[in-house]
Amino acid sequence: MDEDKKLVERTLKGEKEAFEMIIQKYQQPLLNYIGRTVGERQLALDFTQEVFIRTYSSLQSYKPEYKFSTWLFKIASNFIVDYWRKKKIDAFSLDQQKRDNDLPPLQVPDKELPIIKKLEFAELKERIEQALEKIPAPLREVFVWRHINEFSYEEMAEIKGLPVGTIKNRVFQARELIRKRLEEIV
Amino acid sequence: MKCLSLEQVYLYIEKEVSPSESNKIKEHLATCRKCKNALEERRTLLQASESLSLWQTPPDFTQQVMARIFPIRVPISAWLTAAYAGLGSISLAIFILFLITGQNFSNFLTSLNHSLLNFIKNISPFFVKLFKIASLFVKALQQFFEYLIKAFAAFTTIISPQVQIIIITIAIILIAFSIYGIKRKILLGEKA
Repeated sequence: MDEDKKLVERTLKGEKEAFEMIIQKYQQPLLNYIGRTVGERQLALDFTQEVFIRTYSSLQSYKPEYKFSTWLFKIASNFIVDYWRKKKIDAFSLDQQKRDNDLPPLQVPDKELPIIKKLEFAELKERIEQALEKIPAPLREVFVWRHINEFSYEEMAEIKGLPVGTIKNRVFQARELIRKRLEEIV
Repeated sequence: MKCLSLEQVYLYIEKEVSPSESNKIKEHLATCRKCKNALEERRTLLQASESLSLWQTPPDFTQQVMARIFPIRVPISAWLTAAYAGLGSISLAIFILFLITGQNFSNFLTSLNHSLLNFIKNISPFFVKLFKIASLFVKALQQFFEYLIKAFAAFTTIISPQVQIIIITIAIILIAFSIYGIKRKILLGEKA
């Protein structure tokens, strides 16, 4: 049994310290995911707290055959999707992207400007943060999971309940869209 | 091998392609400058994305969450301490009163008792009268409803159901009009 599952078991037996260890382990990964999807620090901290509270209250329903981190991020993702719905962030859906003809090219373009190589590494990182805010929320979510939370495609597919191929495609679109936004910023 | 797709470029960077495909891509990259440039560009993008600075939580974040999950319950010992403190304060107040007025506590309690008794004496006849009026009102109301029910029973036996319906309908219309009229009168009065 892995460490997380043992902590869950201990929490269910009434050991508060075990849940405290879960919070300590996952607070930063969750804050980085939530923070980059909602954009505001204080809101992200409140949401992260809320996700931990939801996790604790539904801990009885956790099935040990699933990876704990995947289950935790599923709760967080559902929370964020609810927030998008309330904020009516449907305008940034993937359909909108298709309508705007913002789909990335499939093949390596014949003439491509080397925009990334021109930038200093620190500046590039800053520009990526800016570009990240300008891409549709569902693409931003998978980009953050892949590059900041370092999830595998399989883990992301399990969190979202989507086929691995769909997730791979979304990550690809997110990267190329960020590259396109970088072009606009530069 | 023909030029790479952009998805292939990313999969090659992330080592998500089979060894044989990886070899083919490597051979192609050795000869195709366009694909090599595209690959270098995207490799840098991924490296930068993976080293984005991390958001930090405040040092007391865990305690904040724990406090929301497990709100602090005051233990019995704390309640006892508060009770002792209260008792101590009262004793101290009595002692100070004794020092200032020179009266002992039993005198103080007797005078307090007298004034309380006088107050109850003065106020009790008023409450008795109020209670009598209320009980008379309830009795009158009871009587009224009894007569009303009897009258309604007599009314239903004497008059045929069709006529009853007509009378009830007229009564409802009259009541509705009266309410409307009163309301209008009030509104006009307000306007005036």
